[in-house]
Amino acid sequence: MDSIVNKFKRSTSTWGDHNMLVNFDVTKEFSLPSFDIPPCHNPIEFLKHNTDEKSNAECRIKFKHGTTTLAFKFQGGIIVSVDSRATAGSVIVTQNIRKIIEINPYLLGTMAGGAADCTFWERELGRRCRLYELRNKERISVSAASKLLGNIVYSFKGMGLSMGTMVVGWDKTGPNIYYVDADGTRLKGDLFSVGSGSPFAYGVLDSAYDFDMSAHDAAELGRRAVYHAAHRDAASGGNIHVYHVKQSGWENLGFRDFDDLHWEYQDQPKPSIIGDVQPMMLNIQD
Amino acid sequence: MVTRLEQPRGGFNFDNFQRNVSLEQKGIRIPKPIKTGTTIAAIIYKDGVCLGADTRATSGPIVADKNCAKIHYLAPNIYCCGAGTAADTEFTTALISSQLELHRLTTGRQTRLSTARSMLCQMLFKYQGHVSAALIIGGYDVNGPNLYSVMPHGSVDNVPFMTMGSGSLAAMAVFERSWRKDLERQEAIDLVKDAIDAGIFNDLGSGSNVDINVIEKDKVDIYRNYYKPNERAPKEKVYKFKRGTTPILKESIKDILVITEGVEAMDIS
Amino acid sequence: MNPVALYNHDAPISAAQQHQFDPYEMNGGSSLVIKGADYCLIASDTRQSDGYKINSRYVPKAFKLTETAVLATSGFSADGLALFKKLSQNLEWYKHAHDKVMSTPAIAQMLSNTLYYKRFFPYYTFCLLGGIDEQGRGVSYSYDPLGSYGAEPYKSVGHKNQQGVQRTDMSLDTAISIAKDAFTSASERDI
Repeated sequence: MDSIVNKFKRSTSTWGDHNMLVNFDVTKEFSLPSFDIPPCHNPIEFLKHNTDEKSNAECRIKFKHGTTTLAFKFQGGIIVSVDSRATAGSVIVTQNIRKIIEINPYLLGTMAGGAADCTFWERELGRRCRLYELRNKERISVSAASKLLGNIVYSFKGMGLSMGTMVVGWDKTGPNIYYVDADGTRLKGDLFSVGSGSPFAYGVLDSAYDFDMSAHDAAELGRRAVYHAAHRDAASGGNIHVYHVKQSGWENLGFRDFDDLHWEYQDQPKPSIIGDVQPMMLNIQD
Repeated sequence: MVTRLEQPRGGFNFDNFQRNVSLEQKGIRIPKPIKTGTTIAAIIYKDGVCLGADTRATSGPIVADKNCAKIHYLAPNIYCCGAGTAADTEFTTALISSQLELHRLTTGRQTRLSTARSMLCQMLFKYQGHVSAALIIGGYDVNGPNLYSVMPHGSVDNVPFMTMGSGSLAAMAVFERSWRKDLERQEAIDLVKDAIDAGIFNDLGSGSNVDINVIEKDKVDIYRNYYKPNERAPKEKVYKFKRGTTPILKESIKDILVITEGVEAMDIS
Repeated sequence: MNPVALYNHDAPISAAQQHQFDPYEMNGGSSLVIKGADYCLIASDTRQSDGYKINSRYVPKAFKLTETAVLATSGFSADGLALFKKLSQNLEWYKHAHDKVMSTPAIAQMLSNTLYYKRFFPYYTFCLLGGIDEQGRGVSYSYDPLGSYGAEPYKSVGHKNQQGVQRTDMSLDTAISIAKDAFTSASERDI
């Protein structure tokens, strides 16, 4: 316990230190920023007591949480789709949070879990990716970028970080999606959905997904999956943002208001999820 | 062994007490009752007693009622200020006032303060402080003007001036400064008003207006909202939605015809 | 049977609690920001309270950071003040290093980072930042205690299912009136 605390206490970083402006030290570019630690016996318990709604329902500091996010590969690249609602405790804090973080023109990160954790560390990831580019004269791969993030959060394991994110982009190997979370898990995959609305999103996604669909259809599927998740999950809603990741980098396909979509979809025929398949014949007597 | 189901006999039901204690230990939040979070104060003066109360009821940090009445009727010559859980003070005083009414009908005499006092403190003691009502009983009977304070656990005090509730310290400071024996009627009213005012402005659990009640021999004067130091300033703008702001999605009009057949059983509950 | 006999007096009413390091206090208060095309209005009350008592009737919780940026806080007053002092100091260093005053959007990012550096010992403050950007437009940002922030885009009173709401730009005078009404209304129902 103490060793973890001391590790962060002693890290002599120049972050937030005015000396950085005078004595620039290259070796410290990759050091972790130093964080204040509460001066008590067990800082982790302290943090849990004050910020973790699961272990203490009446905790004082309720921070923003993100909710339904998804990303999937298809023939034209990757579609990333997210909602925009942030909740703290049982309150909707904002309907306008950006859950797709533009790390750089060809890398995207998504936000689920603690909003501050995701934005801060994905911003830091952007800084490190830029340094990589300057050093190596080539863009960082999605795999390496996600590993940078994974290694950072892993070094904070057990300290209470909360994030479930997808690092999405296009590199030499083509389109790539990596799932990284605060426990240190890092997975490569073709289709992910993260957040409390993810079971609903997976349901829609799995039933209508087709690798060969057009970019337009894929974007619509992503939008629809988040729409259905936001419809059933109280912690998702607001606007639905969609991004398309192509070889040339990502493209923002804009956002649609959830309520507007609701009325629009209601006027449309229901998607033929079971389509033309004949209803199964149940022969109970046999 | 239980051979026969007993009829409920009225009064408090403790069936869920143990269950609630264990639920609370497991971390389930018990709903909060509305507290009167109060300043109540009363004094004896030359010809009678003067009771005062603020009019704010709170539920946590929220003002639940901006103008509630905390001076309750007990008997024609006895009134009672209540602090604590709003429901407890209201129902306790209502219960006792009904018993006092029956008592008067039986005895044919004016109710004495000591009777009301005994009934209240016996009831509160029986419930060991779980009925959270802190009361100041004031009235005029054969023994002249009298004031009793009753704590939620049942202890009683007979005093010339008293304050209670979360604003009691602020109010008591005013009494300690200015109270003296045999005040005139108007002096007494002003003093109680000042005491409640101190509670309203210095205690966040108290607020809004001052209620005053003056009891003299064969005479009761009720001054509801005697003093209003917190009148709301008029709003600078009008916040009304224009007609048609909420869209009509569907419209269907149905003629409703109620047909009743046969004979309905009489409601005897 | 006497109902009182149903109590089990041995049952603990509340579990034993270990004393905990608790450096936080809730001092209450409200702040609001309204931004317009070329202005930003920041308002906050000045009461500092603790539970049912008032510590002071005049402890401002909105602080001037630069000529074009104001920080409004609520929550734990001491943390709000400490945060303001830290930001002021950083702004001063920035001024001497770059010979210019930090722009409001840059302050917004700095505030986010400053809050996040205390991720494991958070400031118990809910911040609003309002001001004017380098193009002279009104800007406003809201924060959670850990530093997640967003520039609230165009936002008007009314709700999603009320499509008839006229979304018009607000004049400064209208904004001031609305802010006053908001505070008088809040004080009616918040102790």
